[in-house]
Amino acid sequence: MLEMIIAELDLGAILTSGATLLLTGLFFVIILTIANAKLKVERDPMVEAIEAVLPGANCGGCGLAGCSAYAEGVVKDHGLIGRCGPGGDALVHAMAEIMGIEATASAPNRAVVHCSAHSDDMINSTQYLGIAGCAERTIIPDNMGCSYGCLGGGDCQAVCEFDAIHVIEGLAVVDYNKCVGCGACVKACPRNIISLTAIVEDPILVMACSSHDKPKEVRGYCKVGCIGCTLCVKMGGDSFFMDNGLAKIDYEKYPDEESRQKATGKCPRGLMVYVGSDDVAVRKANDSREPPKPVKAKTE
Amino acid sequence: MELVLLFISVAIINNLVLTKFLGICPFIGVSRKLDMAFGMGCAVTFVITISGALTWIINNMVLRPIGMDYLKYIAFIMVIASMVQLVEMYLRKFFPPLYESFGIFLALITTNCAILGTCLLIDMNNYSFIKALVASFGGGVGFTLVICMMGGIRENLEWADVPDALKGAGITLITAGIMTLAFMGFTGIGSH
Repeated sequence: MLEMIIAELDLGAILTSGATLLLTGLFFVIILTIANAKLKVERDPMVEAIEAVLPGANCGGCGLAGCSAYAEGVVKDHGLIGRCGPGGDALVHAMAEIMGIEATASAPNRAVVHCSAHSDDMINSTQYLGIAGCAERTIIPDNMGCSYGCLGGGDCQAVCEFDAIHVIEGLAVVDYNKCVGCGACVKACPRNIISLTAIVEDPILVMACSSHDKPKEVRGYCKVGCIGCTLCVKMGGDSFFMDNGLAKIDYEKYPDEESRQKATGKCPRGLMVYVGSDDVAVRKANDSREPPKPVKAKTE
Repeated sequence: MELVLLFISVAIINNLVLTKFLGICPFIGVSRKLDMAFGMGCAVTFVITISGALTWIINNMVLRPIGMDYLKYIAFIMVIASMVQLVEMYLRKFFPPLYESFGIFLALITTNCAILGTCLLIDMNNYSFIKALVASFGGGVGFTLVICMMGGIRENLEWADVPDALKGAGITLITAGIMTLAFMGFTGIGSH
């Protein structure tokens, strides 16, 4: 069979057609090579140098289309220099050196989960047995008592490229040794309880609650959520402020240790927590007990 | 006179986009703004004219004499791809903003069926070289005309109160349909 096919093959035609295409191809190769030499775009060597030191993760955390776009953006606008989460401080200095400017270290942005209720802290009137994902669960009414808090479905865990966020006992917990602040989890969270916050200190005090509900309702569904008592504002000074029944911290003027202690000491609830890189578990700020053992993120 | 008629015929009466339904992809994709649409039209006109001429030469001087007509698809695509590369380099050098705004659609001119379609139509109708030039240039002008009209209409549609269900692609396709109906009115004017 094969021999028959080979016998019927017109080798001449094959060679001619091949040679024809090869020659025409060659013709265009020559044209394009000349054009490439004549029309070569001089790229800014600075942009290329910066692109070379960028991590190349193309995570988009800087808000631009990718590392290449970020390199061009930084050269045009030096203010963008601190935007690269994965690169961190070392990258800022490397880029500053390339561009010949002084870089001052700025606090890196990291994901902060504004909920501190583990499964034990939630008081649910119903038991949810539906699809596990947060996006699915959040559209179902009364899927859990609190309509603000972490659903624990792990949508953030699924989108995290850096294995830096894990659902531990029903609450998303960020591993600050791994988090680079790309913001993927911020976008993934259907309840919008994750934010990128400048980590001015490590560990840093955060208000881990997002509920604007009235005290009675919050007490009804959560053991740790903010009841809007304003004690932290009264005790801690103007670094703390109330936003529609929810206490918040102004990180532009991060409170000093004394006012933090005053505020956390008075807080009757458990939403003021310290998060940081030395302790994966969320630690209650007004917890006089020993901090819980760091829960090691499960590695597969 | 014949050439003028041919030009009008390919540009308007047998318009590539609206009567032959070739090149719909950039017609919908790059017609959001008038200046972008015009840039796209110019790029396509350039590529279509050069490709029309080059493919005519390759077809009639090389492929037909050696009896390798069947190679024309590959050869034509090669010509078109090379020309698109050329346009891309040229734009990146001299019109960087236009280059940025085209994005992927510039490279996609390669697969713009309007261009290959024009080259094959020229081959099918056995045009002379001059006629091939006029036909391909006319095709490009027709494409530019239509995509610019579409761009203008879509710019104005931004301010129109479009029903929610039709926003975006829906109203664009309806517009294209109505434009096609209007262009059908030219049918029968020319004999080409």
